[in-house]
Amino acid sequence: MVAPAVRYSSWFAVVIMLGIGVIGGSGCVVVRAHQRGHLAKRAMTEDRATGEARFAEHERGSREGADGGTGQPGGGCGCN
Amino acid sequence: MRLQLTPVSLGALGALGVALGTTAPARGDGTLAMRGVYYKERATRVMQPMLDGMFDAGTHGIVTGHFLVDAITSASASSGADDSAAFTERRYEGGLGYSHELGAITLAGDAKYSTESDYESIYLGGRAQAEFGQKNTVLGLGGGISLDTISAAAAQGPSMPTLRCDATHPAATSCPLNVYAMYASASQIISRNAVIGLSVDISTLHGFQSNPYRQAIVGEALVPERHPTDRTREAFAASARYYIAPTGTTVIGAYRYYRDSWKVHAHTPELRIVQEAGSDIDASVRYRYYTQDGAFFFHNRYPPDDVAMTQYVSDDVKLSDFTGHTLEAKLGVLGDAFELGGRWAGARFEGILEYAIQHNRFGNAVIAHVALTLPFDY
Repeated sequence: MVAPAVRYSSWFAVVIMLGIGVIGGSGCVVVRAHQRGHLAKRAMTEDRATGEARFAEHERGSREGADGGTGQPGGGCGCN
Repeated sequence: MRLQLTPVSLGALGALGVALGTTAPARGDGTLAMRGVYYKERATRVMQPMLDGMFDAGTHGIVTGHFLVDAITSASASSGADDSAAFTERRYEGGLGYSHELGAITLAGDAKYSTESDYESIYLGGRAQAEFGQKNTVLGLGGGISLDTISAAAAQGPSMPTLRCDATHPAATSCPLNVYAMYASASQIISRNAVIGLSVDISTLHGFQSNPYRQAIVGEALVPERHPTDRTREAFAASARYYIAPTGTTVIGAYRYYRDSWKVHAHTPELRIVQEAGSDIDASVRYRYYTQDGAFFFHNRYPPDDVAMTQYVSDDVKLSDFTGHTLEAKLGVLGDAFELGGRWAGARFEGILEYAIQHNRFGNAVIAHVALTLPFDY
């Protein structure tokens, strides 16, 4: 019988290693600064303003059970 | 309800000005964003005006700050319960952050304070970001602590009810909730038109996680909600952005998987399409699907004589099994499109209309944003 905490940790370790491996492995593709005109477009960087993203996070935290996962804990929801 | 925001808005601007004055000896650029959000569902209406500022601090630093008011009206304090009376409440939140670039590494920290009649929260966080391969690869690592205090101060009636924080504190006037979170992220440019990203978040919560007002149905009686005091939450997300140059279209796909120790599992795929119309206008549409399992202890009714089933009781809709769909349309226009001059030429006007279909007791929701972002230098 494997403890739940161990199962969680193992599963996420695999995901993290796989992701970093994929991203690290693709490091041979180098797009130089002068080739990044399209990548500098607003929609290609972050098309959501800070306030928009913050409200969406707060709103989802009030309506959905899977809030969090956005880089910081909620807090101040007032609606546990 | 009429919001009187002028004094607090000026106060927030003053606070940002003080922060700026103490950290930015050199001239620089900045932006000030004003946004108003309206949210309406069957039992809840929220109006949230907010201010966001971002300022250069020297040649390698950026100061950010925000202030907002959450005005909740015609809502039930028990958030979704059918049998509770309407109430009105305001929440105030302010935050400050600073990031500093050290070559290929950026270090940042931020703090946030939120207060309302029955909930107070202090958040402290930090993160580091490193760039590799001529900025083609960016890795991030961060964490935060949130120290919250919950009471039943908004309860209607002559006296404030006590809360059952845990087995050793069965009748307290307020209860703590501590949240510890960590996240890691990675993004990679894979071509001149495409970038992908991954992120993993883990947080653990200790303390009071019930609603102070909500009651579950146990047999024929109503019993105060009783949730577990510990919860571990995990999420990972992947996203991809692709720019179609001939049409000026950006396609964004994202997927997020979530699970926690309360046995809630959720899947959230999302698709956004952003279309440029010249250099000053962009329009986008978004579709988001959401589905989740219910928490292991959630039931619509609890049998009165089953000790195991009534160890935890809940009437929280967001812990039930449900699905949802969100549709959104957004329009962004630069001041240049209206032939405005000076700094107004770079100002961005934004409008968002969102409709959320929720297959649960909350019902469907409408959300609308209007925003103005104004660049400036100093």
